[in-house]
Amino acid sequence: MEKMRMMLVDDEERFLSTTEKLLKKKGYDVIIAASGQQALDILNRKSIHVVILDVKMPGMDGIETLREIKTRFPLVEVIMLTGHATVESAVDGLKSGATDYLMKPTGLDELIEKAEEAFEKRRRLEEKIRLAQSKKFMKSPRDIIREAENVSD
Amino acid sequence: MDQGYYRSIRKNFFLSMILVPVIPFILSLTIGYSYFINALETNTIASMKRIVADHRQMIESFLRERTDDLMFILHEYRYQELSRSEVLEKVFRNLQSRSPAFVDLGVFDQNGSHVAYQGPYSLKWKVYRDEDWFKQVLAEGSYVSDIFLGYRQVPHFIIALTKTENGRKWVLRATIDTHMFSELVEKVRIGKTGEAYLLNAQGELQTRQRAGRGLMEKPPDTIEYPDAAGEILTYIGTDLIGEDFLYATTWLKKKEWLLVIRQEKADAFGALRAAAYRIILISLLGGAAIIGVAFYMTGRIITRMKQMDTEKENLGHQLILAQRLAELGEMAAGFAHEINNPLQIIRSEQTLIEMNLDDLKQSGDLKPSEGLAEVEDSMAQIKLQIERCSGITQAILKFGRQGEPRLQEIDLREFIPQVTAMVAKKASVHGIAVTQEISAATPPVYGDPGQLQQVLLNLFNNAMDAISAQHGASGGRLCIQAGPDGDNQIEIAVSDNGCGISSENLKKIFSPFFTTKPVGKGTGLGLSVCFGIIDKLGGEMTVDSKRGEGTTFTVRLPGAA
Repeated sequence: MEKMRMMLVDDEERFLSTTEKLLKKKGYDVIIAASGQQALDILNRKSIHVVILDVKMPGMDGIETLREIKTRFPLVEVIMLTGHATVESAVDGLKSGATDYLMKPTGLDELIEKAEEAFEKRRRLEEKIRLAQSKKFMKSPRDIIREAENVSD
Repeated sequence: MDQGYYRSIRKNFFLSMILVPVIPFILSLTIGYSYFINALETNTIASMKRIVADHRQMIESFLRERTDDLMFILHEYRYQELSRSEVLEKVFRNLQSRSPAFVDLGVFDQNGSHVAYQGPYSLKWKVYRDEDWFKQVLAEGSYVSDIFLGYRQVPHFIIALTKTENGRKWVLRATIDTHMFSELVEKVRIGKTGEAYLLNAQGELQTRQRAGRGLMEKPPDTIEYPDAAGEILTYIGTDLIGEDFLYATTWLKKKEWLLVIRQEKADAFGALRAAAYRIILISLLGGAAIIGVAFYMTGRIITRMKQMDTEKENLGHQLILAQRLAELGEMAAGFAHEINNPLQIIRSEQTLIEMNLDDLKQSGDLKPSEGLAEVEDSMAQIKLQIERCSGITQAILKFGRQGEPRLQEIDLREFIPQVTAMVAKKASVHGIAVTQEISAATPPVYGDPGQLQQVLLNLFNNAMDAISAQHGASGGRLCIQAGPDGDNQIEIAVSDNGCGISSENLKKIFSPFFTTKPVGKGTGLGLSVCFGIIDKLGGEMTVDSKRGEGTTFTVRLPGAA
């Protein structure tokens, strides 16, 4: 089974480095990005399962980054990290495709718990995709042809 | 508002309230009065003129009749006959029976000798040749004299006629009783002071004047003479004693006599005076009524204005408070948000330290010691305080970002018992008797159920805290009342018999971060959040409290209708 790889996106350098250390100590594979743009760059290069994304960032903000991620990498699970303790900003995020949200200041355990949940969801999704694809492969060539004809109708 | 403002409004209002009705009122009275004066004067003068004309007619016809009487005798009898005293006596008796005004009758020859005389005086054989009247009667044929004394030294006037017989003239003369003539003239009665008298061309009285002037005297009146005979002149003149009189004069007897009718002005225009008195009375009463009404209305309006201004002011206070709360909330939310970032870092660092300490302990690099225990205790405390800070910022953020209420109709008759049920357990633990008096007529309100629940729970919890502080675990009473409050408003009152709130604290009760609870127990945001919620729903929230007796929070919400 593949190991969860997560990415922390926040403009607070110290938060990134400390949390990175903590997660690494807990044995997680973690990559950090200091801005939305940087996060997208990394996503282009590397396979990431879960992104923990701060809502309020200079430049490209969290919601914008979230939308970009969701269009370009729809399978990536995103957890919004918000300083606003209101449901509104969280709802905004959830509507735009975030899996979950965390409120600052959040504890490490809480963060890991949500990340694990998201990863689990991602894994189930991948499982379904794999299953669907394998079904397709197992269809007879005739079925596939018929299917194609139906579509072209 | 200062008193001067109301005083000036009151003054202006009062004045216009008086002036606006008073001006047309006075105008109409004045115009009416002047028209009335005019009509009355015209009327009075016209009637005066009519009386004068009638009177002149009467006097003239009297004189003509008497002259005609004599004329008849003159034609019927001859000089020789009348010169005989027994004939004259018979004729005179006939004459007197026709008119008792005749005093005597005499016959004169051409030389003015009194040939025959019938009457109370012994004037026979007196010679009148040089008398004025005698000359005139010979010259003009007939003559009516002024009043004069003559030989007899008694005022009288005469009517004389002449006739030519066999080339010789003779004269018939009759004396008219001035007393009777006077009575005839004086018979005019107009009002209380009206009188009539005759003046001759020299202005001497020919009949008596009521003021006591006798015959042949000159009255002190200012007499104006009409130009032509038959014309009637009216004017107002002043008597010697200063009384104003209304005069009417007209000529009689070929402009030899002047008929004067006069009446005291006050008497002639008596109706005017009565009308004036009435008008003054009406003015006074009307004026008093206008002033009274103006005073009453001004008082009422000013009172109402003051009331409205006070209400407006209160509303203004409420608005300012709500606005200040909103601004403060906005600021606090931004501030809390910014605090959350460093707080997040502190938390991460604290976790890292803890983790490292654990690692060091496990690897044996760090021996258990008193110092290490203290460090661990400090770390635990830091963690605790971070939690506390986090709680505060969460509360602040909630306060600042109320969010738009999701409005729906709420039936308080069901809603309030539901919320009350949530605190029933806590209430029974603290020995608090909860009563609900929810009027069946309570109309639904329009609001966000979550927010309204938050408000009610906040009030209930505050009340129960206050009750616990005062009564401990028994004897508490919490009462929730709800019902319509006129003007499509619903009133919800939450009363407790808890420790109450000092009047000083009462002023700050809705201010954010104001709390009387011990440090760490409350953020001081509950009531200000409630205030904000109710304000957003278009309602208002008030508090009434007595130290040691209890507190009542009242929420007024607009009805859903």
